[in-house]
Amino acid sequence: MRAGWLVALSLVVSAAAIAVYSQLLRVPAVRNNPEGYVAAFAIAAVIAGLAVALGRRWYAWTALAVSLVLLLGGATFNFVLARIPAAHTTLRVGERAPDFTLSDAAGRPVTLAGYRGRQPVVLVFYRGYW
Amino acid sequence: MAELQGLGAALSEAEKAGVAIVAVSPDLNERSQELATRLRLDYRFVADPDLALTRRYGLVHARGGQHGEDVPTPTTVVLDRDGVVRWLWVSNNFQVRPDPEAVLHAVRAL
Repeated sequence: MRAGWLVALSLVVSAAAIAVYSQLLRVPAVRNNPEGYVAAFAIAAVIAGLAVALGRRWYAWTALAVSLVLLLGGATFNFVLARIPAAHTTLRVGERAPDFTLSDAAGRPVTLAGYRGRQPVVLVFYRGYW
Repeated sequence: MAELQGLGAALSEAEKAGVAIVAVSPDLNERSQELATRLRLDYRFVADPDLALTRRYGLVHARGGQHGEDVPTPTTVVLDRDGVVRWLWVSNNFQVRPDPEAVLHAVRAL
């Protein structure tokens, strides 16, 4: 019967990892540590593997297959699909950022050099969508 | 404003400390600008439609967009009053956002 508990545990760990990841947008701790779900799937796979070692039941093999698929999918997503290639930025800590002028939605121009001597600036580049 | 990469609270704190916030993306973001103006936040959402500035700063993610278009690499820069870069965070994983605490710390250290 121990195999059964381990199988259940394995599935709970996988389901919890998916549920937690779905909170990605709202919870910074999850969002900023995506490798967490990969680790969780790996743990679920190990637990399922133990269940197979103990019982060799069909449900243990199924749980192992499910967790390995999730692990492979999760790892591929996090380490391959979600990767952004290293940007060879010209910005350097300690050097001045090159000046620019761009317009906002109201048509007002914003010039970076205009802030010099007046205010520090937090400059954020984003894609336009999440 | 989700576009600000989850930095919302940190940026409000920074703004109270007298820091200007400039957000750059390929598209005109009228909604966010209207919201910021209405909330009396000194945020400026500017457009870099041909990615000229993004390219100059070396921040283009080639073919990284949903439709294979070039997009900016999500980046956060803290500049001091002399326009010098004092903190720089360039993303290498689109799930991850910069740590708001780290941004605030950098702003407070100016």
